[in-house]
Amino acid sequence: MPAARENAIIWAMPCSVLIVDDHPGFRAQARALLTAAGYDVVGEAADGESGVRVARDLSPDLVLLDVQLPDITGFEVVRRVHSEPNPPAIVLISSRDASDYGRRIGRSGALGFISKAELSAPALRAVLEGGRR
Amino acid sequence: MTRRRWWLLALGVVCVAWVLGGEWVSIHRGVPENHFIDALGGLAFLAGGLIALDRRPGNAIGPLMIAFGMVGYFGNWGNLNLPVLPLLGVSIGQWAGAPILAQIALSYPTGRLRTTFDRVVVGLIYAGAIGICVVILLVFDPRSAGCPACAWEPAPFPSGPAYLAATSFYQRGGAVLALLFFLAVWLRFRRATPAERRDLTPLWVAVCVIALSYLVGAFASPSPLADPFAYLMWELQSLLQISLPVIFVWGLLSARLARSAVGDLVVELDRPLPPGELQASLSRTLRDPSLELLYARDGQDRWVNARGQPEPLPGPGAGPGARTVMVVERDGRPLAALIHDPALDRGLVRAAAAAAGMAIENERLHAEVRAQLEEARASRQRIVEAGDRERRRVERNLHDGAQQRLATLALSLAMIRDRDGADPAMAASLARASAELRQAIDELRELARGIHPAILTEEGLPAAVESLADRSSLPVGVVSDFDARLPEPVETAAYFVVSESLANITKHAHASRARVELSRCNGTLRVEVRDDGVGGADAARGSGLLGLADRVAAVRGSIRVETPPGGGTRVLAEIPCNA
Repeated sequence: MPAARENAIIWAMPCSVLIVDDHPGFRAQARALLTAAGYDVVGEAADGESGVRVARDLSPDLVLLDVQLPDITGFEVVRRVHSEPNPPAIVLISSRDASDYGRRIGRSGALGFISKAELSAPALRAVLEGGRR
Repeated sequence: MTRRRWWLLALGVVCVAWVLGGEWVSIHRGVPENHFIDALGGLAFLAGGLIALDRRPGNAIGPLMIAFGMVGYFGNWGNLNLPVLPLLGVSIGQWAGAPILAQIALSYPTGRLRTTFDRVVVGLIYAGAIGICVVILLVFDPRSAGCPACAWEPAPFPSGPAYLAATSFYQRGGAVLALLFFLAVWLRFRRATPAERRDLTPLWVAVCVIALSYLVGAFASPSPLADPFAYLMWELQSLLQISLPVIFVWGLLSARLARSAVGDLVVELDRPLPPGELQASLSRTLRDPSLELLYARDGQDRWVNARGQPEPLPGPGAGPGARTVMVVERDGRPLAALIHDPALDRGLVRAAAAAAGMAIENERLHAEVRAQLEEARASRQRIVEAGDRERRRVERNLHDGAQQRLATLALSLAMIRDRDGADPAMAASLARASAELRQAIDELRELARGIHPAILTEEGLPAAVESLADRSSLPVGVVSDFDARLPEPVETAAYFVVSESLANITKHAHASRARVELSRCNGTLRVEVRDDGVGGADAARGSGLLGLADRVAAVRGSIRVETPPGGGTRVLAEIPCNA
């Protein structure tokens, strides 16, 4: 599996972000929050398949990825995106708690997990800097 | 005595007269042989044939055995210096026995040749024997055949070389016919059902005796003076042939002996039988290990076994796997179905079913109750599964609906709160609102988790139990000897056993720690939850444990609670993994 561009994100803020989530309201709020924090939101996707495709087309530095998607799970999206050359870093998000997914988050290859209600610039920065939440 | 028996008696007298007369002729002509053993052989076949004719009137085996006993004595009667008789002696007396014996063997025990191959083989053996007899009747010359002292006249066209050529040809062809005969016997056994094989056992014994008899016959001579060893072999051959009618008659009458086993069945059934034992008893009585007994459901066109499990009646078939179904009825309604080997005697099966009538009725009622219990259990399982499906749907709806909206709202509030230049009082109000919202989100998440834990669906039982342990206010150790997924109803039942037990421990046990063990053994999932609390829990009070017992029973499992006062509590659930 190719190494994600984690270090590049940490040291080269602002970075480009793709948001993959099936709830338009949440996507809009997340875009506003990330833009306000200095991130460059380059795209959005409403399901897993288009998330994989857009990630390949846009080559963002970071993908903010919902675990529960209407077609395939966020874990499957991580696997497919990571199978591409030079993949982006991926942070999983969900309205559920990390404990609801057990060890699956750790095994997925994602950089970390943030509960949707707790999504904020500092929380994202903490994950990107290596502190998994 | 019936008229038929009188006829048989008369036939017996004629047969005995034929045999003893033949021996008398041989003795008076000084034929060198053991007349006692010779007579015994003939009489054994005649007696066996008469018994078979009496007990199995429609069976051809009896007449064939009588015929075999009779034709051999043409040879003895041929010692009379009368016209034709000597020729019949050297032809029929010497050669006609083999095809009759072959027909007896291949048509045993019904008296009918069943396959075309059998009929062809027997037909060829008869054709060969008739052919050699005709040749002998036409060309035999006693002088050229090594009996210059024979006083009787030769055949119409006496020719020593022709006779020798014919007998030599027949002996060579006889070897081929013998091979065909043994092949036919082997094919019969190979195609036979288990019960048929049991019935064919006497045939196997007889065929071995026949083979041994012919082997011994190769070294035999009827003259005690020429070669003592050859004479010994001749006597041994005679003794072996005497055993043949005994074997055949024993086999034919074995069905009669089986009828006496029906009497034993009546005695055996005069005691309570455990479930399924009736089938075993009938199987023993009818000597059919493959026998099955199914019971008719009340008012339904369905069948169940003794355990109440539905089973279909077999359809018509052929070959070794074929089954015959005999439906036992009472007052015109079906009670049970005996599925047995087609080779079994229908009369015997009917007799056994009649003898076991009361036991069949009893076991049918038991099977009906078990079937109804099974239906109730299956219905409960369906209800539990429907409930679990509904729980998953509600949890999913909460996740997709309220939780998403509340998360978005939390994000919005945080953005407004963090905006530069906001009114401090407004910022404080927003911070309080955010905190309340966070609390609401946590409570909703906990509610959703209680309805159906997402981790159980996502990760399986061990991970879900570890998650439960992590969230417990008590230290909970979790040990699992497997990581694989189990059927969803099993995982859900086991999860709620652990969840409810840990909740009880937290509320009532005053325990300092708890331990959960998950293990799989012989297809059964074992879930054990124990604590070091005060024990003495009353499982009958409260609906939690009772509800668990119902849930576990719905997946064919069982639950046990051991809770001695002061000794902690141990909840042990065992659930079949294939539920």
